[in-house]
Amino acid sequence: MIKRIWRLLPGPLSVRVVQAVVLTVVFLVALHFFYDWLGKWLLDQGGTVG
Amino acid sequence: MTDAETQQASAIAAPALRDRGALRVLHGLGWTFIYLGVLTLGFVVHQLVITTWFAQQAQSELALERVAQWEQTEISDVVVVPSAESGNGESGNDSGQGETGSAGRSATPLILKVESQPELGTAFALIRIPKLERLRDGWNVVEGVRVVDLRNGAGHMPGTALPGQPGNAVISGHRTTWGQPFHELNELDPGDRIEVDTALGTSIYEVREIHVVAPTELWVTEPREGAWLTLTTCHPKFSARQRYVVMAELVFGPNYDVIEAMK
Repeated sequence: MIKRIWRLLPGPLSVRVVQAVVLTVVFLVALHFFYDWLGKWLLDQGGTVG
Repeated sequence: MTDAETQQASAIAAPALRDRGALRVLHGLGWTFIYLGVLTLGFVVHQLVITTWFAQQAQSELALERVAQWEQTEISDVVVVPSAESGNGESGNDSGQGETGSAGRSATPLILKVESQPELGTAFALIRIPKLERLRDGWNVVEGVRVVDLRNGAGHMPGTALPGQPGNAVISGHRTTWGQPFHELNELDPGDRIEVDTALGTSIYEVREIHVVAPTELWVTEPREGAWLTLTTCHPKFSARQRYVVMAELVFGPNYDVIEAMK
């Protein structure tokens, strides 16, 4: 899947590298918020009452 | 190619095509499970390692913030006249409105030290529990129990008393994520000590009660006679289904004598 996304990126190699880095960062940040949200509901709400 | 040869070729090709389709489905399923496994592993690593790393990084910054907060904290004296009959003190501030005890009472006025309310999100206290390894050296407590406040590990519930003050000071903390400061809270027994440092000084509490309640049971945060510290965290471990509540009573501190006299 990663190879397929890489092939879909337009432009010369340097532009594709920049796009890949930006996409990776966006993906990781989104994943962080998703995991945070999931963890809050599944594992630990911080112990608050009320 | 004759008809017979064509039929023979079709007969051979059909199972091969079917096999190729089945292989493609298996291949897709295999990769799906691999992606799901990687995502699940990522979730576990994120929750147990990454959030804790963030919280521990924040602790060193919060320690500096707390010290700065202590320097800025205004401490005022409130005069309390213990009531000989009802046991309840009457109080006023130190600007001349104090010492308003009922006529005829000869009790000596006492001074209750009160600190200014910290701003939301500000570190203002350090909680230490000598029995618990994780909290032996202390953990900074911020004002507030919003999601962002608790990312630092532990937060004081606004509207409840500040530690060392009369009433019920409620501190909530994560148990399995974001530094997990209250991970071992279930190891506390009645009689164990909890120390809280604030701008006033160190207040020492002794564990009196332990409860497991639903997250909606607000009675654990209600004011109490004397000075109490209530610690709340998620229960059981790795679940947010219930709350583990430890209630401790003040046994030593800058306001201990005054609070005892007010009872």
